[in-house]
Amino acid sequence: MSRLLPFALLAGLVVLPLALGPNPYLLNALIVTGILTIGAMSLNLLLGFTGQLSLGHIAFFGIGAYVSALTSLGFDVDLGFGIRAVHEPWPAALGFLLATVAAGACGYLIGRLSFRVRGAYFVIVTISFAEVVRLVALNWVELTQGPLALTNIPAITLGLPGLGMWTLKTKLQNYYLVLGVGTLCYLAIARLVGSRFGRAMRGLKENEPLALSVGINATRTLTVAAVISAAMAGAAGSLYAHYLRIIDPDVFLFATTVSMVIMVVAGGKGTLMGPVVGGLIFGLLPVALRPVMAPEAQWIVYGVVLIVILFVMPRGIVPGLAVLLGGRPARAVPVLEANPAVQR
Amino acid sequence: MLGRFTLTTAILLALAATAARADAIRIGVNEPLTGPFAASGTYVVNGAKIAADEINAKGGVLGKTLELVIEDNKSNPTEAASVAEKLITSDKTPVMMGAWGSSLTLAVMPKLMDYETPMLVETSSSGKITTSGNPYVFRISPPSSLEAETFAPMVDRLGMKKVDFLVLNNDFGRGAATDFGKMLKDKGVTVGLVETMDQGAQDMSAQLAKLKASDADTIMITSSVDQLVLLFKQMAALGLKKRVITTGGSQNPDQIIAQAGAAADGTMHLTTFLPWSPDRTPDPKATEAFIDAWKKRGFAFAGVTESFRGYDGIRAIAHAIEKAGSADPAAIAKAFWSVDFVGLNGPIRFAKTGPAGKESGQSKPDVYLIEIKAGRVVVPSL
Amino acid sequence: MDELIQHLVNALILGGTYALLGIGLTLIFGIMNVVNFTHGALYTVGAYVMYLAAAALGLNFFLALPVAILGGLLLGAAIELVLLRPFRGSDIDTTMLVMIGAGIVLQSGTLWIFGGVAKAIPSPFPEAPLQIGPVSVSWLRLFVLGAALGLIALTYTLINRTKLGLAMRAAFQDADTAALMGVDVHRIYTATFALGSSLAAAAGALLGPVYVVFPQMGGLAELKAFAIVILGGLGNVTGAAIGGFILALAEELGAGYVSSGYRDAMGFLIIIAVLLYKPTGLFAKAERIG
Repeated sequence: MSRLLPFALLAGLVVLPLALGPNPYLLNALIVTGILTIGAMSLNLLLGFTGQLSLGHIAFFGIGAYVSALTSLGFDVDLGFGIRAVHEPWPAALGFLLATVAAGACGYLIGRLSFRVRGAYFVIVTISFAEVVRLVALNWVELTQGPLALTNIPAITLGLPGLGMWTLKTKLQNYYLVLGVGTLCYLAIARLVGSRFGRAMRGLKENEPLALSVGINATRTLTVAAVISAAMAGAAGSLYAHYLRIIDPDVFLFATTVSMVIMVVAGGKGTLMGPVVGGLIFGLLPVALRPVMAPEAQWIVYGVVLIVILFVMPRGIVPGLAVLLGGRPARAVPVLEANPAVQR
Repeated sequence: MLGRFTLTTAILLALAATAARADAIRIGVNEPLTGPFAASGTYVVNGAKIAADEINAKGGVLGKTLELVIEDNKSNPTEAASVAEKLITSDKTPVMMGAWGSSLTLAVMPKLMDYETPMLVETSSSGKITTSGNPYVFRISPPSSLEAETFAPMVDRLGMKKVDFLVLNNDFGRGAATDFGKMLKDKGVTVGLVETMDQGAQDMSAQLAKLKASDADTIMITSSVDQLVLLFKQMAALGLKKRVITTGGSQNPDQIIAQAGAAADGTMHLTTFLPWSPDRTPDPKATEAFIDAWKKRGFAFAGVTESFRGYDGIRAIAHAIEKAGSADPAAIAKAFWSVDFVGLNGPIRFAKTGPAGKESGQSKPDVYLIEIKAGRVVVPSL
Repeated sequence: MDELIQHLVNALILGGTYALLGIGLTLIFGIMNVVNFTHGALYTVGAYVMYLAAAALGLNFFLALPVAILGGLLLGAAIELVLLRPFRGSDIDTTMLVMIGAGIVLQSGTLWIFGGVAKAIPSPFPEAPLQIGPVSVSWLRLFVLGAALGLIALTYTLINRTKLGLAMRAAFQDADTAALMGVDVHRIYTATFALGSSLAAAAGALLGPVYVVFPQMGGLAELKAFAIVILGGLGNVTGAAIGGFILALAEELGAGYVSSGYRDAMGFLIIIAVLLYKPTGLFAKAERIG
């Protein structure tokens, strides 16, 4: 089952809009869910495969969104000392690339840091990082418009030589764009995890002293994982900005990181399909719950579901179901051992 | 597998929910019910409900009842935009009211263009809303330039020489600082500090310490009622005693008196409604009827200065639907131009503003200056 | 100069409640190795209990305060018994996620029950401030500082002068050995979590009347508590107390002389700087608490 699931799911998602017909509301929910799922997949790379609980993941997502939006909108900022930074609008597709690069660069910093501070310290430092970025976005009004929000962000335009250009304005186009980027990210992570590098990552997570003794370079491994993870989150953020066409500093809210963490943990951290399954369930749950309960009650359900899953299926839904259905456990890595990093 | 199962369930549930009642006309209401603007948004929604119930009791519009679809935009622009999208695409509302704050309304506006659906703006005051060329926007609240213009004659009589500003760091606050600052400079008044605060800020003591040290005689403040209460308390705690004038029409003076007590004494406020003396409002009977209905529902009197906009907003929308003769977005957008009735704070009829060919509608309400004296609201004679 | 003195006084007063928040969080981390993501929600609950008791039920202000603290104590004990005890022995990440889930439930619960509109708690103190030369302080804030300092002193006494405190210190140093020596570690953990929670509730109940009470108030308070705890070194009670005052000072001076918009950023910038320079906190003395 675990081997067929990805293909069945992809096929299902490809034909889904045709089955739905023109229903902009559901399509919108699917697109936002897809974007958050990409974020969850990238978080899983750190949380699931290297065992680093980064709770500032939304920073990369938000940085991607802002970099992409500003690249395509242009800006004119006074940097002080009589220096002005003026930028003319560039195509949105270029913004997407820059967003990926910028977020990856921030990931490099966090990756270096993760080797220096571990465990609870790492968690708190990543949260702080995200908050600082949020406050900069809120207060550097000249660049980011602050709480006024960046509006009228252009849609992404794709061009193929000889075939013409498409501006991805409709929901259907954006749906397939997100699905395409999501699939690419999935394949990239699958490739990475299966490689030598992936074994190094998991080795570090399961038994660091042993991994170090066999010559695995911990700093390098963690840094590379963080860069890739952050770059993917940045790409997701860019898709988010160009789809919604408006972003404000609340994109950095801790609650969104929590949503992604729930997706990863509920789906199954350290498995390839976990964040996808978790993402679809928790992304679409609000759609299902909206007619029956108020938003605050939905969040109560979220919290309870998270706790219940940690009780009954501490490894998450995907590995849990695999065991239930009698198959061998999906490529799940044992739950983290007590984190040795916090000195007592 | 599991993912798809949930998906089908979700779709079925959503479709069940979108099956609209055929005999009702739905109006989307996009207001902040949580977050920093929750108090004000809730008042507006309660006012809207009174209007809808009143209209439905008289037989509805075009023989159909009005049904309000109320959604919380969490005082956040991105959320406001997605709420608008939800209301239009999922709930199929042909017309909306919203979104309280200027930044919230501005975030919704591109959606109006995308789906060609009109929205009545009941509270926002930024000039940008009606000057950006969005023909689906119809506003009944005064832009801050209009407020400043009405206030201009009082500047000399109050003897203002130098003014500092303390405003929200968003379109609402910054717009007010710009428009009032321009008017004051034209009148030869010096504009000193312009301090900003975040909409969720709780502790403004640092800004206030700065303002205390300045030599200005007046502080003009633009914010929502909850923050104003905090500000007045903190000003009293700092012993900051200067003339204070608030703008924006979201001050609910009675709530300020109740919650800030003596700390609010002597403060002045620019408001757009005079519920304290119904006889001085444009339609005294309607004002009294509205205040009665408000009290009958057990709401605090303090809310009427905010909720009357929700009430007038829904009434204006009902008039537009009536004139349109159908619940079609395009027909309603067109019919807004022929709306003409007396609201609780002046005639509601829309004048064309903004770039030619795609003008927005702006109604011109009354603006009053009131003062809190010994725990009571008085209209100062200037 | 006058402005500077006013900023310093403001910082001193704010610092008291910050210290209270930090001590509660650092105790729980130090003894139980749990990063408590319900701390902000407990702060909110404390403020709402204070509101219910003082504003809605009309209880005397000074009686409502102990009621709120007791509320935090009981809720904390319940959380520990129901949610943390079954996860004893799990790794720190799992308990952290359980606490995140519980925090979401508590915060959304208060939103559901009380609605999003902020509530005000009336204070029994006169509006007119105490004026000393150029500096003015409100009586309410002075009371808040006094109460916070009193509660901090009580906590110190509890840890250093009582049998329970002795057992807590034993469990902090080595839970296994403490268990062998006859200490009921489960009971100590429950007591610790309840104590930490009551301090968070106390901070909420004290700041509720100063500001306003609303469901999301705990979010920023929680992040600030993290900052304070990091500053002081995880598990270091004295460090957290000093950290509270340092954070308040940094915020107040930052807001006054740099930019008021970056007020809340000060704490996080300090965290990042401290961790880069001295990853174990400014006052790392993690061998003992108290």
